[in-house]
Amino acid sequence: MIYYILLPFAAILLVVLQITLADIFFSGWLTLELSLVAVIYAGFRLDLVKGITLACVMGFAFDCLSGATLGLFTLFHLLIFVLVFFVSLRIASEKLYIIAFVSLICSLLESLAVVLLYAFVFQFNLSGDVLPVSVLQALLTSVLSVGFFHVMSKTEGLKYGKTIQTPQRTWTGGVSSKT
Amino acid sequence: MFLKNYRTVILAGAIIAAALILLSYNLRYDTGTGVLKNMVLEAAAPFQKVFNASVTGVENAWKRYIHLVGLEEDNRKLKSKIAALQEELILYKEGNLEAQRLKKLLSLQDVYPHRFIAARVIGKELLVVSKTLWIDKGKTHGLKPGMPVLVLPGLIGRLTDVSWHSSKVLLLIDENSNVDVLIQRTRVQGIARGAGSMGCALRYVPKIQDVKEGDVVVTSGLSNIFPKGLLVGKVSYINRTDTGLFSKIHVAPFADLSSVEEVMVLAAEQQESDQRKMKEE
Repeated sequence: MIYYILLPFAAILLVVLQITLADIFFSGWLTLELSLVAVIYAGFRLDLVKGITLACVMGFAFDCLSGATLGLFTLFHLLIFVLVFFVSLRIASEKLYIIAFVSLICSLLESLAVVLLYAFVFQFNLSGDVLPVSVLQALLTSVLSVGFFHVMSKTEGLKYGKTIQTPQRTWTGGVSSKT
Repeated sequence: MFLKNYRTVILAGAIIAAALILLSYNLRYDTGTGVLKNMVLEAAAPFQKVFNASVTGVENAWKRYIHLVGLEEDNRKLKSKIAALQEELILYKEGNLEAQRLKKLLSLQDVYPHRFIAARVIGKELLVVSKTLWIDKGKTHGLKPGMPVLVLPGLIGRLTDVSWHSSKVLLLIDENSNVDVLIQRTRVQGIARGAGSMGCALRYVPKIQDVKEGDVVVTSGLSNIFPKGLLVGKVSYINRTDTGLFSKIHVAPFADLSSVEEVMVLAAEQQESDQRKMKEE
């Protein structure tokens, strides 16, 4: 229960931190996608309900604080969570290079989705602004996610004695990362 | 049974559909700031303030550091500039002092009707056994052994060894130096012999002669080496109590021989010089 109480605050804190750090380090032309990394982490490590809640809250907080259309990043984060969640059922999610690769793909997909949405819905071409930095952005996200996963893995090790693995992973009939 | 098997997919699909509806609704009606959005913004404000304060603090500290680094750089540059200016000032002062000295030396030509050759002192030997100067002029400049050497206000010695481009000056205070002199006030004659740190000893002056401390001593002109009337020094000590016929008299040279930097060599009397020039013409 405590997870659901603290989650909105943690999400807001993370998004604020993300916006502030991006402004300090890159003056806004790159984003430290900590919320996306958290969603990817949720996709790999958390169960469906907790993960969906996290993706929704994180996306909604990002929508509210970034000034994007309400629901835009909520949808993207949900889609990314679901994608990662189903991917994590089929692969060994302890491998850091897999996490880095998945993060890279997710970040690229997110950038592409933003460009496509703006192009189809608003008839506004963002490709000139977003696509040149999307690769760099994706690389940064994958590096961040590797670091994030490493830190979380250490934290889990300290707390539980081993990396957490939800029963739901095996319940869906997928391949456990432990097997 | 179907729901139980596919509840994960159904749940995910339902939530995605809800998100899609939310997005579509917002795209269509642009709800602006709803209650939820306001709540999020309200909740984010304290975090944002804390982060901003931290960032501003760090930024200010960084700017101060950069400013200090700039100050240090400025300080270093200013110090370097001050050093350069001080060096320049010293050069100017040195030039000024040299000009003053040379001006004084040149004024000798007004005092004495002789032809002078200016020379720079390039070495000093103020040892126990030898008190000489080394100047940068020699035969090629018209110098000859025996020529008197002066600084303002008077005589300091004479040339002994003259090479092509440099010469040695035997100072008045050297023990080997003897100059025919007379007391200017009473015209009493004597010989001023070098006495090292005591200056010169005035010899062969009978005790009965009127000599007082402070009397000015000038060259007598009897030896044909020094022209008559060149200032030598002042009587600094006189003792008539010793046994013997003569007084014990010390003469202090006018010039400070330890700090001489430029000298004038008395080359010839002005008349001789003029005559030589006429002959050459």
